Amino acid sequence: MGIRWQHIALWLAFIVFMLALPELVSKGTLRTIIFANFLAIFAISWDVLSGRTGYISFGHPFLVGIGAYTSAILSYRFGFPIAASIPLAVIATMIGGTLFFLPALRIRGSYFALVTLAFMELMYQLVQVIRPDLTGGTRGMSGIETITRGAVNNYYLSFSLMIIIALAMWLVMKTRLGTALSAIGMNEESVRGSGLDTTKLKLAAFMIAAFIAGLGGAFYVHYLGSIAPRALFDINFLFTIIVAALIGGASTIIGPMIGAFFLTFLLEYLRPVLPGAERYFIYGGIALILYMYQPKGIYEVAKQGWSRLRAARAGAGP
Amino acid sequence: MAFLEIEGLSAYYGKARALHNVDIAVEKGEIVAVVGANGAGKSTLLDSIMGLTTIKGDIRLGGDSLAGLSSRAIVEQGVGYAPERFNLFPYMSVLDNLLVGAFTAREEADRNLQLVFDLFPRLAERRSQETYTQSGGERQMVSLGRALMTGPSLLLVDEPTIGLAPKVCLDIAESLRRLNGETGLTIVITEQNANFAMSLASHLHILETGELKMSGTAEELGSDEELNKAYFGH
Repeated sequence: MGIRWQHIALWLAFIVFMLALPELVSKGTLRTIIFANFLAIFAISWDVLSGRTGYISFGHPFLVGIGAYTSAILSYRFGFPIAASIPLAVIATMIGGTLFFLPALRIRGSYFALVTLAFMELMYQLVQVIRPDLTGGTRGMSGIETITRGAVNNYYLSFSLMIIIALAMWLVMKTRLGTALSAIGMNEESVRGSGLDTTKLKLAAFMIAAFIAGLGGAFYVHYLGSIAPRALFDINFLFTIIVAALIGGASTIIGPMIGAFFLTFLLEYLRPVLPGAERYFIYGGIALILYMYQPKGIYEVAKQGWSRLRAARAGAGP
Repeated sequence: MAFLEIEGLSAYYGKARALHNVDIAVEKGEIVAVVGANGAGKSTLLDSIMGLTTIKGDIRLGGDSLAGLSSRAIVEQGVGYAPERFNLFPYMSVLDNLLVGAFTAREEADRNLQLVFDLFPRLAERRSQETYTQSGGERQMVSLGRALMTGPSLLLVDEPTIGLAPKVCLDIAESLRRLNGETGLTIVITEQNANFAMSLASHLHILETGELKMSGTAEELGSDEELNKAYFGH
């Protein structure tokens, strides 16, 4: 399928709308959207790896955490400028991504998922025990340098980052690499039988996912100005990333973005009604119903609704 | 020297042996069928040629050994593999399925695509349809097409007729015959359907529990009484 002008028009309309948003909504809402932007970045990263190749990562906070911690430690403890600490954090995350990749050489499916979960737990323990003078141990760090101040600036920063990553991934996934990664998710043996080097392809997927997760994690920590292991290496955070990708529509770029915004606002608007962890039950329920009804996610529901609408209009026409 | 020479081939999945001491020779431009029941080792034989199993013995194509090469290198040597039609990429379009086959022969992709569409005009019509919505016969065409996109000189086809209606089997046979006749492509198919195999192939090899039981031309095997009882039902 080629790039149709409707696609481009929709993307442009979306970008213009998002750029005008700070004029339209409160600062509180903007802060919610900032979180949604970061969640979208993490969900896109998860989707490049798991949505495409079918290697389900239950340890994505491991990657995000390496990015966040590396940049935080370099800038807070060693006085690196952010312009240096973020690229170094991304490199560190890609090295971490190589470790993450090793089990994928031998195992798949639920076994792979469990091993990656262990990666996350291991990281959670390590940052508390090893060199707490650097990591801040259980309490983490606060007073980390921020890139910019204020909700509006941070909104523009996080949105730009998200949209650049989304467009870049959209282009990458349109190439043969994207096709091959999706093919691996559907039938890895057949991809090998067609003469493709699946090890290299998988490594590419892991590196791209690590690059995005590291970049997102590093920017996120310099937005928050603080970091704590309990919030980062957390099963709720993990599931929010996964559910965002799945609920929006895995194996697409727009899907994880839609899912991230949907989940963030759902959790935010449920907050006054259900202040505790019960909120997660609600989104679990919604996710469950959606999968039963349409496993391809919100994006597919919207697409089908749109084509039905068009068909109805065409039918009603002269 | 035959075009494809399989010599003393034993194949293993882990420690389990699935093939034992198999010898098969295929001449250039020939259609050869490997016939056997479920579990006889037919797919293992093709997997072994593709470098997807651990093997002992030797496999040579045009005199060059394929043993120990990666699947990629084997495809680049000119072996195209059409696995059972259940091994497509279900949520991808016909065209994308075909293009996955074109990674190793990028320069010839357009030419090979034209060849596939000439052979199966139906695929050209339905190029943007996702394959999970297609009929069994169409999927078999996609599987064959994907293998042809690698630009092979030897085409391996695993059970092309499994679960297909008789009419569709005839269409598939006709396509393979055309391919063989027009381009001189050497073809090795595996089959449970011995009658189909006999109608198509000049030489047949019968596999039983991983061992070669009998080899010969269609005429030779057609007159073997014991074999007729076991495989042809008459």
